[in-house]
Amino acid sequence: MSVQVVAAKMAEVELKDVSAGKALPAESPVTPTSEDKTLARNEPQKEAGSSAAAATSPTAEPSAKAGEGNRGLLTPSAAKMPQASALKHSDPQQNGGDAFVNRDGTVAEAPRMKKIQFADQKQEFNKRPSKIGRRSLSRSISQSSTDSYSSAASYTDSSDDETSPRDKQQKNSKGNGDFCIKNIKQADFGRREIEIAEQEMPALMALRKRAQGEKPLAGAKVVGCTHITAQTAVLMETLSALGAQCRWAACNIYSTQNEVAAALAEGGFSVFAWKGESEDDFWWCIDRCVNVEGWQPNMILDDGGDLTHWIYKKYPNMFKKIKGIVEESVTGVHRLYQLSKAGKLCVPAMNVNDSVTKQKFDNLYCCRESILDGLKRTTDVMFGGKQVVVCGYGEVGKGCCAALKAMGSIVYVTEIDPICALQACMDGFRLVKLNEVIRQVDIVITCTGNKNVVVREHLDRMKNGCIVCNMGHSNTEIDVASLRTPELTWERVRSQVDHIIWPDAKRIVLLAEGRLLNLSCSTVPTFVLSITATTQALALIELYNAPEGRYKQDVYLLPKKMDEYVASLHLPTFDAHLTELTDEQAKYLGLNKNGPFKPNYYRY
Amino acid sequence: MSETAGDAKPEVKQASKEVKESENVAEKYSAMTVSKNSEINMGELSSVFSSVPTHKPVKKQIQFVEEKQEFSRFPTKTGRRSLSRSISQSSTDSYSSAASYTDSSDDETSPRDKTQVNSKGSSDFCVKNIKQTEFGRREIEIAEQDMSALISLRKRAQSEKPLAGAKIVGCTHITAQTAVLIETLVALGAQCRWTACNIYSTQNEVASALAERGVAVFAWKGESEDDFWWCIDRCVNTEGWQPNMILDDGGDLTHWVYKKYPNVFKKIRGIVEESVTGVHRLYQLSKAGKLCVPAMNVNDSVTKQKFDNLYCCRESILDGLKRTTDVMFGGKQVVVCGYGEVGKGCSAALKALGAVVYVTEIDPICGLQACMDGFRVVKLNEVIRLVDVIITCTGNKNVVTRDQLDRMKNGCIVCNMGHSNTEIDVASLRTPELTWERVRSQVDHVIWPDGKRVILLAEGRLLNLSCSTVPTFVLSITATTQALALIELYNAPEGRYKQDVYLLPKKMDEYVASLHLATFDAHLTELTDEQAKYLGLNKNGPFKPNYYRY
Repeated sequence: MSVQVVAAKMAEVELKDVSAGKALPAESPVTPTSEDKTLARNEPQKEAGSSAAAATSPTAEPSAKAGEGNRGLLTPSAAKMPQASALKHSDPQQNGGDAFVNRDGTVAEAPRMKKIQFADQKQEFNKRPSKIGRRSLSRSISQSSTDSYSSAASYTDSSDDETSPRDKQQKNSKGNGDFCIKNIKQADFGRREIEIAEQEMPALMALRKRAQGEKPLAGAKVVGCTHITAQTAVLMETLSALGAQCRWAACNIYSTQNEVAAALAEGGFSVFAWKGESEDDFWWCIDRCVNVEGWQPNMILDDGGDLTHWIYKKYPNMFKKIKGIVEESVTGVHRLYQLSKAGKLCVPAMNVNDSVTKQKFDNLYCCRESILDGLKRTTDVMFGGKQVVVCGYGEVGKGCCAALKAMGSIVYVTEIDPICALQACMDGFRLVKLNEVIRQVDIVITCTGNKNVVVREHLDRMKNGCIVCNMGHSNTEIDVASLRTPELTWERVRSQVDHIIWPDAKRIVLLAEGRLLNLSCSTVPTFVLSITATTQALALIELYNAPEGRYKQDVYLLPKKMDEYVASLHLPTFDAHLTELTDEQAKYLGLNKNGPFKPNYYRY
Repeated sequence: MSETAGDAKPEVKQASKEVKESENVAEKYSAMTVSKNSEINMGELSSVFSSVPTHKPVKKQIQFVEEKQEFSRFPTKTGRRSLSRSISQSSTDSYSSAASYTDSSDDETSPRDKTQVNSKGSSDFCVKNIKQTEFGRREIEIAEQDMSALISLRKRAQSEKPLAGAKIVGCTHITAQTAVLIETLVALGAQCRWTACNIYSTQNEVASALAERGVAVFAWKGESEDDFWWCIDRCVNTEGWQPNMILDDGGDLTHWVYKKYPNVFKKIRGIVEESVTGVHRLYQLSKAGKLCVPAMNVNDSVTKQKFDNLYCCRESILDGLKRTTDVMFGGKQVVVCGYGEVGKGCSAALKALGAVVYVTEIDPICGLQACMDGFRVVKLNEVIRLVDVIITCTGNKNVVTRDQLDRMKNGCIVCNMGHSNTEIDVASLRTPELTWERVRSQVDHVIWPDGKRVILLAEGRLLNLSCSTVPTFVLSITATTQALALIELYNAPEGRYKQDVYLLPKKMDEYVASLHLATFDAHLTELTDEQAKYLGLNKNGPFKPNYYRY
């Protein structure tokens, strides 16, 4: 418990640092604070929980820790207070922190395999408590930027190597030592991971082949800060094949796949990243990426905005010479817009988060599958004939409803926006208020992006065995804190699944403690990550090759043509054959045969 | 007969020339269903009729005869088809519902030459026959049943009379649904003068019911070109009454006022335009710096677009095919050309009935959407020999060519849900070796020398307009949008709208949707204060940023 307090304090300090250091305009709704606090809240729990979990449930894996922690700490005050503080912040950025926490949750996945990891993390935590504050650093909330930890996350990790990578001298087989990773000897494992990922990322491979001859990135010096996973490795190697020189750091202290980093280092990339960095390590790695003799980056690929911020603050001269920034996360994009608003953005930046293709895959298609997957994995529920209420009919809600309807469920929808509501009606869903159906439904799914959509009052009236889960953003949609009262008994029945038992023996099945179901209890398919990575690569190519003057000192959306190109690169996966316009038809429509095919306001 | 046919052909060409002027619009709206000149369809109906005189349409004979008569009587009027350029589907109204069943061709006098007085002694109107009032009133009452949104708008705003003082001159299709709109506007305090935007689409009995109620209506079915402009002029040019709002469909009225009465035009407080063509003309005017009043483009409002394209076509594709061919969809192989809103609707409907659906697409993003929705994306050539039904909805031209028609299998059904009649190269089928056989109204068998038959629906024109109806509910969306646009423009504080073309504000768009939710007994959730604050939204909307894609 004392550790917990310390941790919380550290986090607060960190929080101050961050808010002071980040130079975000005061009115900005960005609240690193909320993130940090959220972290602070979860960290201690995790810590305490992990030890408890280690003792009680051998299957629990590291990220379950947050959840496990809660169980351990059931004394309501401890769990509740920090949460309340987090809730006060009502900004979109809060996502960042939460998503991050969720990401942890994701790591927690695949309980059977990851026991070692768990131990590993716990150790590191004890060793360097300051690091926990660092979790707030990665604010990337984009779903596809979350990567699929479950695939391979450091199965070669062993906790016997206690030396910090910073203190080690390693060289790859070519004698190059310009990298810093956990263990260069894991390169072979990593290479295998990368090869597997390549199979599912045909678009990047096709891009590699198509553009290899002309080397569109020849001369580009790309410094990157993203999750370092097999999928990112495929992206980096593609950039390299297109002529770029790359130096890379991790945007998250936990997400690095050590063996992939090793494989990259072996392949000659300057990678500075390992799983379980400390706060200090994190910035050190970024600095090593940027600050190197005789090499100055001219492109930035960022996820979360930390790298951009670092260069902007520490190397303003270098920043001025950057040809372009590509940013993929909501948070990073928000920071760029702030910078741009303040007139301080002196280079063009590209927001790839809001490209049509990426958005559709992150929200509609991905959630359409993961809602079923997540529910099945956790509860083995059978959907046919079940009554389900989906709160919110945006992209995520549309996906969930379509999937459940296809399984034979009876789906109700709640919505606040009349246009979306009318869409729900026309798609054949009954539009109700939650109160009207709460007594009869078997499953409640929230995807509103709002807070307190399902409150204690609703939970009280649900029927026995009702499943409650969240597909929306962060963990605010279900008022989980309200369930931490003495009369209710929490029973963890398996990882990510809690039974909450009322005095009259009614049970509610709460999944992932109200955090994102699709990140906690399901995986992000490589195909979705491929969409993101391809979008990033094309954004880099576009910015690097744009003629003088096309992009000014502002934040741009990916041009529609590039967006279409991302889509077209993924069509071969489906053996889909795109029709080409004849000259005559193109003239009739007034279009270029190669696109763009739609005006910018087209809604798809 | 042959003479008529001869006349018709050049006329049609002329019409298509005029269409070209607005072709840029077509690019922009390529994904839309809608035919730029739906009236061409109507015109062609007659020309087609005259060129294939042997095939007597089974059901619609009376109408046909009537049209033919009118066609031969006023040959100049065919050119007039191009006048109404309204391409919005919902602006086309449902001809089939009631179109002038009280019409009789025995009354040959032009309404212009008649003096008619309604029961209150007013004669400030010009309709076919004021005595048809009762029929018209019944039609309007039926329409009111399905337009509950307008009726509830009427009730909600009746006391505050948001249009008090508004003098609206309107030019739209005159149908029962429009009548509900007009009477709603009157109930909200407006004075209305109305004319038809299409020489054929007026329901005479509805027009007379409106005239009986004191609305100055100038319209009848089968106007001549000259009549058309005369009616518009009678609407605008009247002693002691000057319009301050324009509700237009196609831009003809706006154009007329702009050209003939520049002084009146300057005093207009706002223009509401619903058709693609009219909007295009407004944008051109605005570009040229000649638009001196604010205008509102209601065509592109989210709700209207979704209903015109996605929802409407999703139903009418099945309806149109069933009515014409009685085809059974289960297990049939269907190729849908184009995966825009219309294509999405068609594909979803067909898939739901168990058809095997292929999609062709040129846009990789839409192509990928089709893949993710579970459709095979193919080139037309790859499946042309397999498929039982071909549906075009690309907005493009010559998507199905003679070459492809040659390779189709026996009994293949070919139809068009896209825009105008360019998508299927029907002209290429008019060769001597092919026999055309009209099996029923809107259904032709085209027979190859080897006995193969291809079933061509509506001769490549819009299936949903030719062989199906537009539900009143969809028209209700349009009418409500128009009414709210008028209210918004009329009540906007000075300076909110400048001399430009605006989209309907999202809040109004949302209000249109919310008025229609009652139909579904749908219960919208309200944000709590706390939630609204968390999201940074007003509790009453707008709920989404402008770029939201829905």
